[in-house]
Amino acid sequence: MDTLHEKTIERRVFTSFFRDGSVEAFTGIILLQLGLPLLFSRSGFGDMESALFTLPIALILLAIVFLVRRLVVTPRLGRVKFLHERRRKLSKLIIVPILTLIAGAIAGYIFTGNASPKNIFVGLIPFSLSPIIVFSAAAYFLDMKRLYVYGTIVSLILPLGKYLETIIISKTTLPATLLIPAFVFLGIATFFFVAFLRKYHETRV
Amino acid sequence: MEDQVNKQTTDSISEIMNIDRLVHSPARLAILTYLSVVEEGDAVYLLNQTGLTWGNLSANVTRLQEAGYIEVGKEFKDKKSHTLIKLTNEGRKAFYDYQKKMKGLLDINKPI
Repeated sequence: MDTLHEKTIERRVFTSFFRDGSVEAFTGIILLQLGLPLLFSRSGFGDMESALFTLPIALILLAIVFLVRRLVVTPRLGRVKFLHERRRKLSKLIIVPILTLIAGAIAGYIFTGNASPKNIFVGLIPFSLSPIIVFSAAAYFLDMKRLYVYGTIVSLILPLGKYLETIIISKTTLPATLLIPAFVFLGIATFFFVAFLRKYHETRV
Repeated sequence: MEDQVNKQTTDSISEIMNIDRLVHSPARLAILTYLSVVEEGDAVYLLNQTGLTWGNLSANVTRLQEAGYIEVGKEFKDKKSHTLIKLTNEGRKAFYDYQKKMKGLLDINKPI
């Protein structure tokens, strides 16, 4: 790629493939995956049962997003093979799930293990840093600045929920703090998807 | 100094006559631009990015293909055929040469 101008065009073309709300849907699913087990466990279910209830929901939602992208989005946007440079950058995206696992394991160890700090807010730091790291990596590899914002929002939700729990003493305060933004993100995703469908019609060539 | 500027202006005007007219058309320039930033893309991709009508795109793609600037191939995916369009080396060279010439022309015509 020769000029800065071309890089801008390439980036614009690449990001145009993600204006269908799928990124927002993924963010919503992540929050749902955090909020639902908490809601179930606080409703009397065991931790393992709660996780097992939630996992299929998240997997079904992820499958829907993938199918919609494959069957609805791609035929409307067209098929493109990006340049080697872009594909190389995309291949590094594998770092994101690895970072998620590492960050989650560290956060889990600090939060629930022996290293659990006395101050609950100190314990939340790894939970807040994980989304920032994961979303920033995704933002960098996908060239999507809005992912930095989403990462910041996700990272602030848990401390906010914990703080609200000290004011509004209820079992559902923390799950609600996670689930409300989850549904907001899923709502935004639906809005973007409808806008996408209205803008792009299936073209038969 | 003034003579040199005049000569440069004359040269740049004669350069305009040597511009590749096949690339110079707005529709074909758009097609080449969007093909230059990907390895290959199908007709739907070009339709969406350029905003051209199907007829217009088809006519311009044919002209570029005839000139050897692009390659048009078929691919079968999910039992459906897709037309894949790719910029050839010749096409890429023509596109960059055009860019270079136009930049040169625009730079030389800057107010002195």
